[in-house]
Amino acid sequence: MTSNKSSLEPPGFSPAGTDPQIEPSEQPDPPKHSRRTILTAVGAFALLGAATTVLGGSLLNPPSSTEDGNFSGETLEFLIPLASGGGTDTWARFIGTELTNYVPGRPGFAPVNEAGGEGILGTNRFARSAKTDGTEILVGTASTVVPWVLGRSAVKYSFEDLRPVVVNGTGGVIYARAEAGVAGVQDLINRDTPLEFGGISATGLDITTLVAFDLLEADVTSTFGFEGRGPVNLALQRGEIDLDYQTTSAYGSAVAGIVKEGKAVVLMSFGQLNEAGDVIRDPNFPDVPTVAEAYETLHGKKPSGEKYEAYKTLLGLTYTYQKGLWVPQETPENAYELLRQSSEKLGTDTGFQEKASKVLGGYPLVADTGMADRVRDAYKVSGSVRSYVTGLLASKYNIHVE
Amino acid sequence: MLDSAMAALASLADPSLLIMLLIGTVAGLIMGLIPGLGGTGAVAILLPITFGMEPPQALALLIGALAVVHTSDTVSAVLLGAPGSASASVTMLDGYSMAKKGQAARALTLAFLSSMAGGIIGAVGLTLAIPLARPLVLSFASPELFMLTVLGVSLAAVLSRGNIIKGVSAGLLGLILGMVGTSPTTAEERFTFGSLFLGDGLSLVAVALGIFGLAEIASRASQRRGQKQIITLGGGWGQGIREWLTHWTHVIRGALIGIWAGVLPGVGATAGTWMAYGQAVATAKDKRQFGKGDPRGIVGPESANNSVEAGDLIPTLLFGIPGGVPSAMLLGMLLTYGIQPGPSIITEHLDLMYLIVWSFAIASVLGALLCFLSVKQLAKLTKVPFAILAAGLVAVMLLGSFQEGGQLGDLWIMIILGVFGWLLKSTGFPRAPFLIGFVLAIPLERYYFLTDSLYEGFDWMARPGVLVFLAILILPMIWAFIKFIRTRRKTNLDDGHRDEQPEDDEAPLKNSTWSLTASGIFFVAFAAALISSASFSPEARLVPQLVSTGGLIFSGFLLFIEIRRRLRDRTPKAGETLAEEADGIRGTQPAKAGWTLDAKFALKTFLWMTGFLALTAAFGYLIAVTIFIPAFLLIVARARLKVAIIYTGVLYVALLALPSLLPIDLPQGWLNTLV
Repeated sequence: MTSNKSSLEPPGFSPAGTDPQIEPSEQPDPPKHSRRTILTAVGAFALLGAATTVLGGSLLNPPSSTEDGNFSGETLEFLIPLASGGGTDTWARFIGTELTNYVPGRPGFAPVNEAGGEGILGTNRFARSAKTDGTEILVGTASTVVPWVLGRSAVKYSFEDLRPVVVNGTGGVIYARAEAGVAGVQDLINRDTPLEFGGISATGLDITTLVAFDLLEADVTSTFGFEGRGPVNLALQRGEIDLDYQTTSAYGSAVAGIVKEGKAVVLMSFGQLNEAGDVIRDPNFPDVPTVAEAYETLHGKKPSGEKYEAYKTLLGLTYTYQKGLWVPQETPENAYELLRQSSEKLGTDTGFQEKASKVLGGYPLVADTGMADRVRDAYKVSGSVRSYVTGLLASKYNIHVE
Repeated sequence: MLDSAMAALASLADPSLLIMLLIGTVAGLIMGLIPGLGGTGAVAILLPITFGMEPPQALALLIGALAVVHTSDTVSAVLLGAPGSASASVTMLDGYSMAKKGQAARALTLAFLSSMAGGIIGAVGLTLAIPLARPLVLSFASPELFMLTVLGVSLAAVLSRGNIIKGVSAGLLGLILGMVGTSPTTAEERFTFGSLFLGDGLSLVAVALGIFGLAEIASRASQRRGQKQIITLGGGWGQGIREWLTHWTHVIRGALIGIWAGVLPGVGATAGTWMAYGQAVATAKDKRQFGKGDPRGIVGPESANNSVEAGDLIPTLLFGIPGGVPSAMLLGMLLTYGIQPGPSIITEHLDLMYLIVWSFAIASVLGALLCFLSVKQLAKLTKVPFAILAAGLVAVMLLGSFQEGGQLGDLWIMIILGVFGWLLKSTGFPRAPFLIGFVLAIPLERYYFLTDSLYEGFDWMARPGVLVFLAILILPMIWAFIKFIRTRRKTNLDDGHRDEQPEDDEAPLKNSTWSLTASGIFFVAFAAALISSASFSPEARLVPQLVSTGGLIFSGFLLFIEIRRRLRDRTPKAGETLAEEADGIRGTQPAKAGWTLDAKFALKTFLWMTGFLALTAAFGYLIAVTIFIPAFLLIVARARLKVAIIYTGVLYVALLALPSLLPIDLPQGWLNTLV
């Protein structure tokens, strides 16, 4: 832009600026208003707006009283750090709508999408400035957990400073294209040509699968860049890739059919972490061996060591306790307990369970008294796990986490 | 099959279903009218209501809304030049030009009829596609998808209206802008300058509304009087329908392209609609009227953007792979009812499938009919002085684009791109290629790398699908070249000259300091992109480097032409030294078109918008509106005091009521965090 003085003056206040605007037409421009009229009108409205903002906030929403045993007159604000429309968004909106009916006092429900930086921005904001009275709730998911595990410098939050209200897990299976010459787990090793795995991004949910392959010493090469798991599934059906994984909620639509047709073979499930922190079979796939069992089949001994520890940690974070509602650590005990107990009631209600079975992918809402401790243990990521994972990314996938 | 289809139709006679369909349709129409909300907003509003309903009712409600959003989003695009959604910016090109000539009613009639036809064809396509979808989707592997994106990008040349160099430069810059954010293959951040906010890339809604909507507002905010006369359709609706019928091939072509774009995951509504426009232009014999009110430019894309939604339902229902945010929400709803999308949905829930088809078709007709009946009323909107509309439009568009991610940063980007869009528009750069480039940047790169890494060497080039695309790409080029040689031999009139003349009223600042500046900005932007991409990993920098090198060549050529023209213009006048002339880039000597009234007014309007956003950041949206609206109305639009007071009052009440009625968040300011 060239430097012309008049452009910097506020339009309208420069008498010379707008006068020559009159176009050569039969109808002249309306006359200008006097400065006094403008100032009065704008001033009056500005006052009205300011008054509404300042007073309205406290009049319409009186200071919160979340510690008195009910949330009446309050609004539960769910911070969804991702854009609307995704799996986590659907999950949060569904849970929120149902949960508010169970919280005493029936608070309102306000989902707020604050997308940015793949979930990091919104979660950072929550960690910095969320209200600590229990009315502001963070929706946590794998996209915000993985960068935290990797220790990315952009992450300014820690799940150790938050308290889980309720968690909900998911599971998944790894399957292969039959035509690639795979009939079972044993075809993962000693291959002439490695199997091609289709991924989205090595620093996302795919990381758990990559660690599983590394643990199993599977003969696998990877191609990243797919738009989502759906397109990966299609690419497998087209024969472009050989290996894929799908979470439980997508299993029915994406995998079950092609397995029935004999085009694909289910190799293993990720399994679930039990209360003792061991890998057990996924209740949704009771007949499918877990990654740990697959290791035994391939190598004849139980898995152990650094890689297995890393796998178990990631399994807990990205599957068993994947989605959750969190409040700041400073939330008063009464308010926290009220939310947790309401969630527990919701999770155990049979009517809800029936309605929710598909959204929750067949995994219960967990909010019992011991939940917080189990989640705390699962969210403790040791230094050796962290360095192994970042090392794997650097050495095998040439990705350097900053 | 016919049995269940008829049974589904019969079930729609159930009054509760019909009411739901009607509510959905009306809600969809209203959400489409508000720039920035579109399908996502419509489904987001209705979704919570459906919790607790029976599946058929819920489906009727959501499908009703989804089917008509792209019918009504045309209204603001045609009447105000502010597209209701990113894909409506296509219809804007010709529809808005028509409206400016006083033929708003004609443009709307054509658009609504096409939307209706697109919806119906889409519904038919949905029915037919049920058995065909799987082979169709599976036959499109990465190489074909890559070629499809290449074809889309090459439309930039077709849509550049005679000035190919400017068009291609704009398309390449769009590509670069689309690459801002996380790279699809290596997950590293590009062109983000360490900002997490930029890590997700720029929001499509903000880019489209900025580059088209805000730019339009700025260039027209000086109009304090409305259009005096409205040319109504002589002969009434009959003639409108008759005119529309003459373009029936375009309707069908547009609809088919739309379905196709919807079926393929990763193409999207915006790109699909542009492709429909591109093919209409590419196959037309006389291209001169495109962008200036050619009915074919309305009919094809309007038909396409409705059928895209139907096409989008195919992968959503049959594979569980949603193509857009609205269908992702629909998928979520189906899951809450225990309806598992997937190939088995045909056998298990065939009745629901047909219910969707019928709902879609009926809603399309209903929505178009409702719009059609209100054409005359809507067209009166052009009588209102634009400056008065502008105030509310700025407020609504910024609010609309805030809803997607809830980031104030999106709004700043929108204003910056608004200024840039205005510069492009005024200096004769076509903006369509820019948006196409932006939309296709990531798919292009993604499918290039997938193709490259999943296939050995150039094997993929021999795939039949790829060969077809190559033929589509190369044959017209050869044809154009032959034609060019022939016409050269015959006369001296070439395409360039023929097109340049009538375009000048659209681009008043062509051949001035402004166009020199614009070329300079392009050149600098490409140079900066080239330099900063040097620090990326080899995989992540390949495409940005190719694009920015190409951009440097094209924009360098533009810059050369501009400078040469300045030199030629000036030499006879005064004896300036060569050194001074080279400095002309910086505009040391104001050129004759350097600082026109229009330019001054446009930049002032942008200053107003900036002020509005600054107020929002400081005091929150409510206060910003109560200051900005009356001030703008009284000072810029010079509206009557009464008008200004009622206008602001209504907006104020609406802003108070909206957040509790609709899932709309008002941007919070620094003051709100204190209170």
